[in-house]
Amino acid sequence: MLHATTLILCLILFNAALIAVLLTRPAITANRGGKILAFVAIFCLPVFCGLLGVSREMGRAKTTTFCLSCHTMEDYGKSLLVDDLTHIPAAHFQNHLVPADEACYSCHTEYAMFGGLRVKLYGLKHLAIYYLGTPPAPDKIKLYNPFNNRECLHCHLGARSFEEGVVHNADPATLPAIKSNQLSCLSSGCHELAHDLAHLKGAKFWKEGL
Amino acid sequence: MLNTNALEKRLRFAGVCVALGLLVEALCLLWATPIAFVIFVGIGGLLIFIGIVVYLYSLASTFSVPE
Repeated sequence: MLHATTLILCLILFNAALIAVLLTRPAITANRGGKILAFVAIFCLPVFCGLLGVSREMGRAKTTTFCLSCHTMEDYGKSLLVDDLTHIPAAHFQNHLVPADEACYSCHTEYAMFGGLRVKLYGLKHLAIYYLGTPPAPDKIKLYNPFNNRECLHCHLGARSFEEGVVHNADPATLPAIKSNQLSCLSSGCHELAHDLAHLKGAKFWKEGL
Repeated sequence: MLNTNALEKRLRFAGVCVALGLLVEALCLLWATPIAFVIFVGIGGLLIFIGIVVYLYSLASTFSVPE
């Protein structure tokens, strides 16, 4: 990731140098070579740099540190380190069931067409609220829609632990209901313990993760 | 047809806009905070866009047929 940033910065510097040449000697655009140089420096390279930069920023926006950089998210970050693996986020984060550096995004994206784009737009909305509005208290934050099983099944579908799980197969109707999103994975009595902010104060934390 | 001075002026303006936009984008790439993305797109992207539009417009004006 750092190398990508360095490469983009080098390209930007190169582009800036070409523009500086044009600014100091605009007369060179009178001939064909100068025209091509201007086209590359003022059109091609800036567009290319911009696209690379957006791609880099989009990649950065998926990282756990990015999500947790807002104060509102601090408690959610702590909940990843609770020393109790019945907490779904903690179990996933601490056991690397999701990439640790993209923990938030892995579960809170939408694995559907334009889902990534939709959650990025949500992110922009969150930014606007954070900087221009009044951010809600962490425990008042709610999902826009109930958590869709599709996000869990993106990884768990076909996994032996899921398909052959004792509880999942206790009733023959359970597994189809989960797969069709009629029975939420987060239903009471199932995997209901997500970011349990209410009990964070008295919780023990995984020290190695701090 | 535009005279050379006007064309150079527009090219210079476009170059300055693009260079400023690139500078903003470079700074945002080094500044890893959520607001950096908004500045990257909102200010850096806008400056580059204005620079490119002015440049393309100056090209189009160069080839316009005089009345």
